[in-house]
Amino acid sequence: MLIDVVMPQLGESVVEGVVVKWLVEVGELIAKDHPLLEISTDKVDAEIPSPSAGRVAQILVKPGETVPILAVLAKIETDPAASRPEPEEAPKWDEETEGFPGHMARKTGPPIPAPPRVEPSAPPPPPPPTTGRIRITPVVARMAAEHGLDLSRIPGTGIDGRVTRRDVEEYLASGASAKEAGSPAVPPSAPIAVSPRARKVPAPPLAEGDQVVPWTPIRKKIAEHVVRSKHTSPHVHIFAEVDMHRVAAVRAKEKKEGVNLTYLPFVIHAAAKALREIPIMNATVSGESTVLKKDIHIGVAVDTEKGLLVPVLRHADRMSLKEISAAMDDFGAQAKSGKISPDDLSGGTFSITNPGIKGNLFGTPIINQPQVGILRLGQIVKRPVVIDVDGEDSIVIRPVMYLGCAYDHRVIDGVAGNGFLYRVREILEAGIFS
Amino acid sequence: MLVTYIEAIRQAMDEELTRDGNVLLMGEDVGVLGGAFKASAGLQEKHGADRVVDMPISESLIVGAGVGLAVQGMRPVLEMQFIDFISCGFDQIVNSAATLRYRHGGQTACPIVIRGPSGGGVHGGLYHSQNPEAWFCHVPGLKVVAPGTAYDAKGLLKSAIRDDDPVIYFEHKFLYRRIKEEIPAEEYLVPIGKAALRREGRDLTVITYGAPVHAVMKAARDMAAEVDIEVIDLRTLLPIDWATVKGSVRKTGKVLIVHEARLTGGIGGEVAARIAQDCFEELDGPVVRLAARDVHTPFAPAMEDYVLPNQEKVTEAIRKLAAY
Repeated sequence: MLIDVVMPQLGESVVEGVVVKWLVEVGELIAKDHPLLEISTDKVDAEIPSPSAGRVAQILVKPGETVPILAVLAKIETDPAASRPEPEEAPKWDEETEGFPGHMARKTGPPIPAPPRVEPSAPPPPPPPTTGRIRITPVVARMAAEHGLDLSRIPGTGIDGRVTRRDVEEYLASGASAKEAGSPAVPPSAPIAVSPRARKVPAPPLAEGDQVVPWTPIRKKIAEHVVRSKHTSPHVHIFAEVDMHRVAAVRAKEKKEGVNLTYLPFVIHAAAKALREIPIMNATVSGESTVLKKDIHIGVAVDTEKGLLVPVLRHADRMSLKEISAAMDDFGAQAKSGKISPDDLSGGTFSITNPGIKGNLFGTPIINQPQVGILRLGQIVKRPVVIDVDGEDSIVIRPVMYLGCAYDHRVIDGVAGNGFLYRVREILEAGIFS
Repeated sequence: MLVTYIEAIRQAMDEELTRDGNVLLMGEDVGVLGGAFKASAGLQEKHGADRVVDMPISESLIVGAGVGLAVQGMRPVLEMQFIDFISCGFDQIVNSAATLRYRHGGQTACPIVIRGPSGGGVHGGLYHSQNPEAWFCHVPGLKVVAPGTAYDAKGLLKSAIRDDDPVIYFEHKFLYRRIKEEIPAEEYLVPIGKAALRREGRDLTVITYGAPVHAVMKAARDMAAEVDIEVIDLRTLLPIDWATVKGSVRKTGKVLIVHEARLTGGIGGEVAARIAQDCFEELDGPVVRLAARDVHTPFAPAMEDYVLPNQEKVTEAIRKLAAY
């Protein structure tokens, strides 16, 4: 029978060798272990002995040729008496494309076929009752909470009917959530949701042409923050009617000198002064303690294209009206160009919100946690006002603003809260800003 | 320029020996013989016996001498003939080299590279098949790299030699002559600490390094009709490029980690824990590891196949995770 002489692997990293010369000829009779040829590899040079006694039947590789390990170099016709069963074919080197062959990428030939997919063959278990347990992955839990989805309504294609992330994505894309959603409103007795994420209210049904706008990250933050604030602080809202005619006079005077001031810097200035006098309003809550802040840093809400931002005026009590005004202009410009830095948005000890000329009569602002108070400017409108002129009541026309204030009743009682707003009003009406 | 993985390593050392007179190569048989695997073939002839130095069979001595030379301003490359024997130099590495900068308040550095052939799949038996990278990833002060391509083998070795801290460089002997790649003729570096996105996909991320990169890539290609697989080659194991890892996990939500080193205490555990902690809400399935079984690497080919990861095992793991 014919047996193969193969290129041996002479070393762990060797994958090929060069035939240097043949030491035998075709037809020659040889003993077992008789040297057949010389080979050379990257690591060593060696003689290859004959695996068996017999006659050289074929020489398959010419001197100088490079062949991979296990390639057949020659065939030996063995003595029939010495014949043995043919050795099992050695695994062939896989000279695959792109140089990624071999044992690590073991399979030659066609790719391993996919087994039939499991999911539809066995009917998925009936959707568990809503009170039952549904096994889901963290990402699916998050998406369900974000979109207010009832997962028992979503067909699952994962193992054991598990709802996968893609199932949720496809469900949302199909708009099915809208069709299947239940009651739109939170029943009055519903427990307070700590954060919007935890709320499991089904989305209201969508009508034709309705648009679903997913929350941006900043929207999510605001939502989370205001819910938390309302849930954390018992807000007391109070209002003052402020006669702004002296402020208006100062504005007019500055305007003549070429300085354009809005009403906002005046309110910031007055608030900073009042905060210095009533320290409990310039505070934050930390656990079960109130931290009276030494510095007065006032956050001022600014509406930007990206959403509501609250840049902080540091040491507002040390700033002049013009400095406050200039700082606010800077914030406005930075916010517009998106260049406002996180440092500018943190560290506030009190907040002021100014909805601008369309701010309506008054509003009830939400405290910016962990602060304890906030002011809100209302519309400034000319109104008939009764004043005392030389001991007699007179009606005059004055610019009047309803100034709203919220304070955290956990920390601040009525005397301090009312006293603060009253003092802000006094400063604004006195019209002295230096 | 078409080169093998081992030729890329040889070129990197040759270029650095030429570029910087402070670079040395020291190890058993690196000089006259040109290395047991011929990684330093011709380097002693070219650069001299005082720069490519044959050392006695003592890994502790090789590393210790290297640390001393490094303190004095040299940049020695220290070859372990087989990385399995790096354990003989362990104390010098973890107590001496790794702590030097810290002990001296940052006032000294230890610019050594310890490199050597790691990995199995070559029927080398238990003393010539090991993947001990995880031992060193536990040690602050070290950097650990494990290139999976010829391009990276060259670029990472050059970066390692230029790095001022000790770098352990795990080259995979299975790849030495089994991969050939076109690499640039001009000089280039591969930064330490940066993973490579080998393939983009949206269904599942496979995180791997070293030789299994090729098995994973082939599995990903063969399964392309079934699953859209993203493949990350870590390249550097200490420090790991978490930004790339997390970015991919956030996209796909499913992760398979593949390494040839053993499962228990391997790099995969660290990667999995970090993903579980930082990407929990993005996960759409368990973080799965495929690694060598927790036994020594057997000599018998059939047993070695049974123990080490390969394309079939990768395919099976991907299929299972994709269906989750």
